[in-house]
Amino acid sequence: LALALSRPRGEDNIISEEEAAQYDRQIRLWGLDAQKRLRGSRVLLVGLRGLGAEVAKNLILAGVKGLTLLDHEQVTEESRRAQFLIPVDADGQNQAQASLERAQLLNPMVEVKVDTDAVESKLDDFFFRFDAVCLTRCSKDLMVRVDQLCASRNIKVFCGDVYGYHGYMFSDLGQEHHYVEEKPKVVKGSNEANDGPEAKKRKVDPNETTMVKKTISFCSLKEALEVDWTNEKAKSSLKRTPADYFLLQVLLKFRTDKGRDPQPDSFAEDSQLLLQIRDDVLETMGLSSELLPNTFVSYCFSEMAPVCAVVGGVLGQEIVKALSQRDAPHRNFFFFDGLKGSGVVDYFGSK
Amino acid sequence: FSILLADSLSSCRVLVVGAGGIGCELLKNLVLTGFKNIEVIDLDTIDVSNLNRQFLFQKKHVGKSKAQVAKESVLRFCPSANITAYHDSIMNPDYNVEFFRNFQLVMNALDNRAARNHVNRMCLAADIPLIESGTAGYLGQVTVIKKGQTECYECQPKPTQKTFPGCTIRNTPSEPIHCIVWAKYLFNQLFGEEDADQEVSPDTADPEVAWNPADAAARATASNKDGDIKRVSTKEWARSTGYDPVKLFNKVQLFKDDIMYLLTMDKLWKKRKAPLPLDWTEIHQLESSQEEAFGTGLKDQQVLGVQGYAQLFHRSVETLRSQLIEKGEGAELVWDKDDPPAMDFVTAAANLRMNVFSMNMKSRFDVKSMAGNIIPAIATTNAVIAGLIVLEALKTLNSDFDQCRTIFLNKQPNPRKKLLVPCALDPPNPNCYVCASKPEVTVKLNVHKTIVQALQDKILKEKFGMVAPDVQIEDGKGTILISSEEGETEANNNKFLSDFGIRNGSRLQADDFLQDYTLLVNLIHSEELEKDVEFEVVGDAPDKAPAPSVPEEGKNIANGNKDSAQPSTSSKAAAEDDDVLIVDSDEEPSSSTMEASPESSNRKRKHHDADTDATASKRKRLDQQPADDDEDIIALD
Repeated sequence: LALALSRPRGEDNIISEEEAAQYDRQIRLWGLDAQKRLRGSRVLLVGLRGLGAEVAKNLILAGVKGLTLLDHEQVTEESRRAQFLIPVDADGQNQAQASLERAQLLNPMVEVKVDTDAVESKLDDFFFRFDAVCLTRCSKDLMVRVDQLCASRNIKVFCGDVYGYHGYMFSDLGQEHHYVEEKPKVVKGSNEANDGPEAKKRKVDPNETTMVKKTISFCSLKEALEVDWTNEKAKSSLKRTPADYFLLQVLLKFRTDKGRDPQPDSFAEDSQLLLQIRDDVLETMGLSSELLPNTFVSYCFSEMAPVCAVVGGVLGQEIVKALSQRDAPHRNFFFFDGLKGSGVVDYFGSK
Repeated sequence: FSILLADSLSSCRVLVVGAGGIGCELLKNLVLTGFKNIEVIDLDTIDVSNLNRQFLFQKKHVGKSKAQVAKESVLRFCPSANITAYHDSIMNPDYNVEFFRNFQLVMNALDNRAARNHVNRMCLAADIPLIESGTAGYLGQVTVIKKGQTECYECQPKPTQKTFPGCTIRNTPSEPIHCIVWAKYLFNQLFGEEDADQEVSPDTADPEVAWNPADAAARATASNKDGDIKRVSTKEWARSTGYDPVKLFNKVQLFKDDIMYLLTMDKLWKKRKAPLPLDWTEIHQLESSQEEAFGTGLKDQQVLGVQGYAQLFHRSVETLRSQLIEKGEGAELVWDKDDPPAMDFVTAAANLRMNVFSMNMKSRFDVKSMAGNIIPAIATTNAVIAGLIVLEALKTLNSDFDQCRTIFLNKQPNPRKKLLVPCALDPPNPNCYVCASKPEVTVKLNVHKTIVQALQDKILKEKFGMVAPDVQIEDGKGTILISSEEGETEANNNKFLSDFGIRNGSRLQADDFLQDYTLLVNLIHSEELEKDVEFEVVGDAPDKAPAPSVPEEGKNIANGNKDSAQPSTSSKAAAEDDDVLIVDSDEEPSSSTMEASPESSNRKRKHHDADTDATASKRKRLDQQPADDDEDIIALD
């Protein structure tokens, strides 16, 4: 099987002096080829609240070709305080529009665009113009739809959200995602006069590396969220399964039912509902409510800025990895628990 | 989160030390989380290479103060924040214990060991919690330091900066890095501040040179005291020839005559490939090798041929010569990787030497990495770490120290699926030479050969992190050896310790009043220290760096090779699953120690915690081109 890395999408293959100077420190990390691939990539980012702003910043600084900021909501005092791109006098404006100027200033070499439509209203072909799509604050149905639409066209799909101290990201890089990894070159030691164990050891030249090509496959979001927990194999893996996965299911259901996320203003009412949903969701899966103890309700209200930073950092880097086709992607969920400071990568879906 | 917390957030005062990669992200997180009173300090100015991650800065800000611009940018999205910016070094005595006591919390966003040590001590003295952090490439780490409850930053001995023996640099280089160090020394010898530790000429005192010990002794006495056969300093000689590039090239120091001299030390070449001298005229008579069109790559990533580097050498010497002339009488240049002719010079000289010693030559891009101790850096790693810092900050403000953790960021998840690995904090080391109640160390040195200046600079400042030491001898008379007041004890500087009656078993009391730190130093006299080693700290954990031939301890002045005290670079961790390194990264404003190869020491600790590696001390002078990279590397478990 020939493992084909897609040709760098850059229209021109040259890196300018300006780019070389600005991107120097990251080119030294991930290489010029990766930078060129980034430079040819167009990304759609849906949702410009705390997490969205972090991802926007990270992708713009990384030097993608274009980033479209899509958000239909208006700036409120709450939303303005949640992120750092919106100016103080922007209440009432569209969130994406208000974020544009500061976002563009982060890196004039990136084409930053704005779209004020609701993502639900977008037709299929809207998504096809992008190399990667990142969805935040979207309903489960929308995410499943977009994922199905895009993954088959080799458009990389990412989802992420922050709920209080918790956050997650999901990725679907398609059935065949090709990438390279840099490994130290193993060189044979020179012939020694004495044949001892030393001579037989292969020497690794610390300065030289080689690129190894790899392929990995991802499942759809639908599959990832519809794991069958009733079979024995799934049940036995429960102990090692992060509770965050079930928390995510609960929060997505809340979002679908209420059309919004839990809000501090309606803490009492929302906490009740969350517990109810937890019971329903876990029961439907054939699992015990104990998997997600009641305390969870205290910690999943509103986006916490530092949690957005952590999740946005990991998510941003995963998008960079996927577009640059360099380094093994996390597969397929990342869960962050800000109370414990733990971040785990786990796979859900068909193997 | 609770209203109680929100109130204390808006009233508490915090200090952020550093406004670079981590600093920018941290300031943003702090204000968005609700912190209102923030002071930020950074001695650095903005460089274009910062812009890929230090997002509070734009191109138009290049050259301006980081702390100042960071403050202005933050105020734009949070005008109600109360931010004070200091364009200054945290090691300035103005920032005394009283200053630190103003804050409920200090957060480091530094890139060098010296400043970290210093802030560590200040926070211990003021009894203020400190959140320490660092990043390099994809890796990062955060930890919390609270006096009496956790380890301090210096509880675990950190391996010192890797340095190379003088004879390796001067006689028998075997890796590109040796040639690069040599080239930087050469720059200083010719254009900069001459340093006895940075000799470039063949070292006849190299023990490997002699077939028998008597021969070595004979050679040594036949030449100058340092094994340096030049009667005239390099700079004087260069001046006398008007810095003629061709003469330099062919000259003793460089690629022909000195190499010929090295060849006469035939024992060196019994088991090694002998160097091949270059001659200027001969090079230019050779068929000029096809220089590749640089096409789609970075121009800097090309590797030229010998002619190319010879020409580069020629051009850069001429440019540097003009720079010197322009500066006037007695002028000195300071090496800076971002100064093109200085970088060209090192690239050319190092490569020519590599060629002489049969090594594959390196591109300017690669040489710059090594010479400038550049640590690759990206926005996302800093974003994650800065997020974790604030989460730890919230716990410390609540005094929930039992909830605080050291957290490591890996590149890939470990076998337990963890990408972020929290570890419990360790209690203080009862024998820590900084935070123990009565810190004490034992140092082995030669009292007849160590001068007071060396005690001050290499031992107390570099090794033990003091900034302005005062030293008295515990001889019943309290004889003052070193005073931190300028000029007071200058007369003592070049005297030997033994001149003051110091001998085996003597004790010194060293104080740094700014750091509120007293260290009792027990001295053991030894005449058996290794070549190039000036002192040893008894009880230091041996450095488990992969290159055992490198002496860890201080260097013998006579043999050249500056110790790691000067800004150095840290090495990246080879980030295996459970291996972590803490590294400091700092560009050297001037050439001194060179960094070891990126895959540096990796030591496992009980919690599979990180090891600390390398040291760097940032020069305090603001006019200096500051350390390049702001990220401190921490490798994780």
